[in-house]
Amino acid sequence: MLIAIEVGLLILVPCVAFVALWLRDLMSAVIVLGAYSFLMCLVWTGMGAVDVAFTEAAVGAGVSTVFFIAVLFNTTRNITFNPLDVSSKLVALVACLGFGYVLLQGVSDLPDWGDPYSPVNAGVSTYYIENAYADTHVPNLVTTVLADYRSVDTMLETTVVLIALLGIFMILKKDRPAQSDSSDTQAHDSLIIRLSARFIAPFIQLFGLYVVAHGHHSPGGGFQGGVILGTGLILMAMSMGMASAKRLLSIPRMIILAAVGVLIYAGWGAVPLVYNGYFLDYSVWESVFGSMARSHSMLIVEIGVALTVMCGMYGIYMSLVSDGGMQEGL
Amino acid sequence: MMGLFLVAALVLLAFMGLLLYRIVVGPTVIDRLLAVNVIGTKSIVILIIMGILFDRVAMFIDIALAYGLLNFIASLAAAKYFRKHKKIHHVSTMPAEVSHDH
Repeated sequence: MLIAIEVGLLILVPCVAFVALWLRDLMSAVIVLGAYSFLMCLVWTGMGAVDVAFTEAAVGAGVSTVFFIAVLFNTTRNITFNPLDVSSKLVALVACLGFGYVLLQGVSDLPDWGDPYSPVNAGVSTYYIENAYADTHVPNLVTTVLADYRSVDTMLETTVVLIALLGIFMILKKDRPAQSDSSDTQAHDSLIIRLSARFIAPFIQLFGLYVVAHGHHSPGGGFQGGVILGTGLILMAMSMGMASAKRLLSIPRMIILAAVGVLIYAGWGAVPLVYNGYFLDYSVWESVFGSMARSHSMLIVEIGVALTVMCGMYGIYMSLVSDGGMQEGL
Repeated sequence: MMGLFLVAALVLLAFMGLLLYRIVVGPTVIDRLLAVNVIGTKSIVILIIMGILFDRVAMFIDIALAYGLLNFIASLAAAKYFRKHKKIHHVSTMPAEVSHDH
């Protein structure tokens, strides 16, 4: 029954992607990519991958477009195309075709979508599906795999977010503190924007907290909740001015909190080592939490992820939009 | 009843196709922004309809809420961009048809 919707999406998604490539104005291309992200979310939903769809909704709907616009804000919006400069295009064409050919060769080795005899479906996933709830008392299987069975993977993903934040921050950072007092540069903003942002930001933050805390039982979790929390801060920075956002979460505190998030994750996983367990083996906590040990441990680990992702989104936005100066932005 | 929802989703998808025309032709970037915003609103409705078709609406409400809360932030960023880059906006939108040709 859903196949009709999916065929419609299959027609729309390549069209939107092609339009985004075809447009010469980068600002339009960025906005069209937003539509692409909306449609991709529907594709994930049609496949039943609600957690992926949630990530696409949280990242694609707000944050990635805002990041792109922040970059365009400090660079240029127009593509300069020199018709005489063909050689670099030829090199790029050959490189893209070659790389695409290699990738297509790789795709032919992958198992078919939904193939019951593929290595993934033959071994571990059967165990996960049959035993996850009995092991951990967490209804959302995706969270269980992400934060329990494959926890080391997720811990390193969180570290990647921290590294991305630190990398962007340190590349763009300006040594000289700009002396311009930016507290009133955005004061002449529209009253409607300021008031509506002040009204809606608490709801965004509350919803982010819900997504983090309820990630065991519904789609969501640390990454999605962290992005939503960070978006609330970005909204405050955009509407009330960067100085006001820095009063909420200053730049040094942002970096410390991002590192604390990873520390919570790794620290919670390291405690079992003391009690003769494995790294990230939450069942050691049973002496404290009883049978819910693994469930509660996942929540604590997700809080660490959410802290890092929130500070990551906020810090990347602040660095990109102010060109590293942290004084003036959108 | 399910057939009704399916038809509703397909009609909304067809309307998205119509909006694609505005995205392709749209003389200014503002037209495209508006079209993308309408696509976002339609996505929320289709998401809920898919939830009904899957018979798991409760799971899809969260995603739709995230969309609803975050949808306008990109538009706000674009609006603030144009407040400061007015000049570029005027230059690049007036010869919009020309700019595609080179």
